[in-house]
Amino acid sequence: MTTAVPPPSRTEIFSLFRSILRSARQFPDYNIREYTKRRTIDSFRDNKTLSDPASIAAAFSDGKSQLEVAKREAVVYSLYAPKIKSIMHIKH
Amino acid sequence: MASKIISATIRRSLSPRTLPHIRPLSTAAAVTAAAEPYDETAGISMKGVKISGRPLYLDMQATSPVDPRVLDAMLPYFVSRYGNPHSRTHLYGWESDEAVEAARAQVANLINASPKEIVFTSGATECNNISVKGVMHFYKEKKKHVITTQTEHKCVLDSCRHLQQEGFDVTYLPVKSDGLIDLNELRSSIRTNTGLVSVMAVNNEIGVIQPMEEIGQICKEFNIPFHTDAAQALGKIPIDVNKWNVSLMSLSGHKVYGPKGVGALYMRRRPRIRVEPQMNGGGQERGIRSGTVPTPLVVGMGAACELAMKEMEYDEKRVTELKDRLLNGIRAKLDGVVVNGSTESRYAGNLNLSFAYVEGESLLMGLKEVAVSSGSACTSASLEPSYVLRALGVDEDMAHTSIRFGIGRFTTEEEIDKAVELTVNQVEKLREMSPLYEMVKEGIDIKSIQWSQH
Repeated sequence: MTTAVPPPSRTEIFSLFRSILRSARQFPDYNIREYTKRRTIDSFRDNKTLSDPASIAAAFSDGKSQLEVAKREAVVYSLYAPKIKSIMHIKH
Repeated sequence: MASKIISATIRRSLSPRTLPHIRPLSTAAAVTAAAEPYDETAGISMKGVKISGRPLYLDMQATSPVDPRVLDAMLPYFVSRYGNPHSRTHLYGWESDEAVEAARAQVANLINASPKEIVFTSGATECNNISVKGVMHFYKEKKKHVITTQTEHKCVLDSCRHLQQEGFDVTYLPVKSDGLIDLNELRSSIRTNTGLVSVMAVNNEIGVIQPMEEIGQICKEFNIPFHTDAAQALGKIPIDVNKWNVSLMSLSGHKVYGPKGVGALYMRRRPRIRVEPQMNGGGQERGIRSGTVPTPLVVGMGAACELAMKEMEYDEKRVTELKDRLLNGIRAKLDGVVVNGSTESRYAGNLNLSFAYVEGESLLMGLKEVAVSSGSACTSASLEPSYVLRALGVDEDMAHTSIRFGIGRFTTEEEIDKAVELTVNQVEKLREMSPLYEMVKEGIDIKSIQWSQH
């Protein structure tokens, strides 16, 4: 039996949520930014009802790896952002 | 003293070092400067069209944007793990090979196949060529007949025409007005020397889903290999090669939010289907497709397939909601809007609409802030209306005004609302100018008019 990792606390989960949303804001591309925000909110909401600590820990670690992906990709997308933005930026 | 510290911190935070303001590296800028003729203040001016920003993208059937998670999986294989997967003697080759095999398993999982049945190619067009020409050439002694439909992708139709020139017989099944084939017609066109039935799962122009299970049953009954072009279906509808009883399936990377230039061919092992390879060489990919397997692209396709499996339900629900929003939004303001193709057996993300009494080219010219297409990307260079719409029996004038809206994972509600607004404005503007529409409003039946010759 592997030693049980303590399940993440509420504050840790909220902090992960806010970090992912913060990286989402860094994307210069309108569609990716909106998708990341929306998907994060929806998946955290769907996982709210999880009760089994193993699945909570699995979802949390999945979220942490997604945060790392989002941070890296926000940098890459910013490096190659087109000078002219989508018309959705202008009209909104 | 404090002001000096404050000004120093401000200067530091405004320096070009802060990440979101990094200037593109000089070489990248030099390469892209030629490709993007723009005027900083006035927006983009290209091909005589001026728009204030990049258009919103509603053409998901032509291609889809690469998901950032897919790009993240691909980059290490461009940057540091650049080995050739067929090099057997060093770490670079081994790690590259490991990545290719992992990607193979990811693709196989999405279609419920075994990784040994997946062959990586350069795209669905190559897969279709291998399937149609390769199978028929292999079995050419006994099998001389191919059955396909009139609404297939150009590469399948062109391969069939090539086979016809070599002496094979090809039956092009007609489709009903909703885009689906008639199963009885399929059954009656099967002969003893039929070597292949090729029907695409989801049509790229009208989005109808063919009755795959039933076709698979018929092919199993007559023991004929069943090939399907599932490029548009992958990741959008659940695919099971055993339920569908397919022997060959063409898959494309860039329709599932993966990179362009990669595809996969599923080839059944039990019962084994044999093909004659179209690319000869060093025997890679079990001799079916020689050539170095492009590791980064293949890894990207694998990552895209894995994502598609996780996100299929969420995406499908969302795309259906957006499609309803788009269709209801347009129908609320306009009449004379026809959906081409079956509305029941359809993939929601492909909405092909025809607007009556409006000319297609002028509608597209006015919709420059929305990236949509009329007909498919393959046929839009010529002036003919799309052959798919013609096969459906759509009138010439309605076929000319068809617009295909492609909704995908990254489309937002605001984009849909904006697209509705722009389309409705443009159609209303054009109809106002149209004398035909005036006549219809007065109650005259256009078809009964006798146009006089001068």
